[in-house]
Amino acid sequence: MKRPAATESSARETEDTGLPFFCSWKSVYLFVMGSFVLWVALLIALTKIFS
Amino acid sequence: MSALDYIVLIGSMLGIAIYGIWRTRGRRDLNAYLRGDGHTPWFAIGLSVMATQASAITFLSTPGQGYLGGLGFVQIYFGLPIALIVIAAVFLPIYRRLNVFTAYEFLGKRFDGKTRLLGAALFLVQRGLGAGLTIYAPAIVLTTVFGWPLNLTIISSGLLVIIYTVAGGSDAVTVTQKYQIGIIFAGMVTAFCLLVARLPTGLTFTDTFALAGGFQKLKAVNFSTDVHERYTFWSGLIGGTFLMLSYFGTDQSQVQRYISGASLCEGRLGLMFNAVCKIPMQFCILLLGVLIFVFYQFETPPLFFNSTSSQYLAEHNAGQKLRAYEADFNSAHAQTRQQLEDWLNARHRGDQTAATAAFAAASTSHQRGEKIREEAAKTLLTANPGTTANDADYVFITFILHHLPHGVIGLLVAAFFAAALSSKAAELNALGSSTTIDFYRHLIKHDATDANCVVASKCFTAFWGLVAIGFALYAHLVENLIQAVNILGSIFYGVMLGLFVVAFFVRRVGGTAVFWAALAAQTLVFVLYFNLTISYLWYPLIGCATCVLLSLVLQVVLGGNGETSKARAI
Repeated sequence: MKRPAATESSARETEDTGLPFFCSWKSVYLFVMGSFVLWVALLIALTKIFS
Repeated sequence: MSALDYIVLIGSMLGIAIYGIWRTRGRRDLNAYLRGDGHTPWFAIGLSVMATQASAITFLSTPGQGYLGGLGFVQIYFGLPIALIVIAAVFLPIYRRLNVFTAYEFLGKRFDGKTRLLGAALFLVQRGLGAGLTIYAPAIVLTTVFGWPLNLTIISSGLLVIIYTVAGGSDAVTVTQKYQIGIIFAGMVTAFCLLVARLPTGLTFTDTFALAGGFQKLKAVNFSTDVHERYTFWSGLIGGTFLMLSYFGTDQSQVQRYISGASLCEGRLGLMFNAVCKIPMQFCILLLGVLIFVFYQFETPPLFFNSTSSQYLAEHNAGQKLRAYEADFNSAHAQTRQQLEDWLNARHRGDQTAATAAFAAASTSHQRGEKIREEAAKTLLTANPGTTANDADYVFITFILHHLPHGVIGLLVAAFFAAALSSKAAELNALGSSTTIDFYRHLIKHDATDANCVVASKCFTAFWGLVAIGFALYAHLVENLIQAVNILGSIFYGVMLGLFVVAFFVRRVGGTAVFWAALAAQTLVFVLYFNLTISYLWYPLIGCATCVLLSLVLQVVLGGNGETSKARAI
């Protein structure tokens, strides 16, 4: 079922990231979590290698 | 400091403040004064959020944490990316949809007037106290080192920030923060590069890391489940998430920064910028401290980085004792240095056995030096029980003063002041906004016009600035400064977050249940804080969980479903 135009516009504002490589906010959040996991992995590696 | 340093310091601080006033001149509209002109792009929001959190204490004290405790402090930020994602996905869209000036206005719309006032009051109490510490902390360190009059430093820096925040409101804060954070980054990067250049020749990148790791300074992640250990992976990830969620999601000084974005998208990107950059930034600042530690293995460090400690001992019939401590400490350090040079030579020769033996000997000598330091600190505490022997806050500034060239010293002191002013301005702006919107317009003058509110907001901003200066003038140094700020936040933030968690996610609970639950939870946190020795990072979780659970229980006791038309509308 087609939603009213106002809701569509509001949904577009909610979902539009304005970024070239990320079409949705879900992908932005995944990228942020990915970079966080990468940093934690690097810190764990630093701890293991030099301690 | 030389004349060049003073020109850099005073020129940059006054220049940014005057530019902020000029750029935001003539703001009369309440919306523009409290939320900006509505055109703030994501990058400015991201820098503003970063500058608000990163006070002078962050840049003065964190390298000291790295020097003394290594990289472990970085774990406190493990909850930050998760918290910022939750805020961007859930909190921010609702704040924008309801078009609120303050986060506590949302509590009023969701619950009732008394819950809104409770949220705002919790914010005003803890942020009002924190604002005093924000201004006091850099002043006490810088005046101790440079011999400036403490009260004059507190008053002059406090008045400067009051003038431009009162004049330009939220936009002045955002505009000035952009340039202030530029100075901060320029200063920190310069210090980092010069420090690396001053490490002994022959000490390679891997040698440096091997040395720091050998002294347990690179233990960044600790998976211990002991709740008494302050910084662990778990306390950072779980407790840190709650601490960051409450700070970024419910503290008006942060909420005001990201609701001022041109659109929801700009606000979210500003938050995501911080979610990605904050851990690397803190890591670099801590690494700076670790590198200073390595540097001081080849240069003689002072017995106390806080020179007033040595002066006190010398002036109070303990001069002979102090000289004995210094002689022993210097001898232990010379031994450590010689053994580390032997270690380095053996390492470069590829003689692993000799390298291991030399490092073990250096480690023993280093421990001997640290024991002498502890003895000296004990003597200081016995001579003056009111003082603190915590040196962490003085490590970085001592290094700057003794080992960096003029001009750079001015740049770094300017960076510390820029950090102090930027976070202070955001705090005053938020305190003024909350007092105006949540108390003045809500309780005192319901029919206040926008013009009345702008005038009131200016007056309240100035009032809170003066309160902060007053508090700073009478504050006493407590533990490590950055920890003091975090501990203060941890005590209040959990309950505040509990209010917002119930508001966002538990529709069946009404205002009366959550109000009494919040009061009971805050009392419990106070009792636990003064009776337990667990890491302070757990208190936001305890406060939040208690508030949510008690509100559910109270709602059942009070009877009925608390869901109101207000909750349904949100």
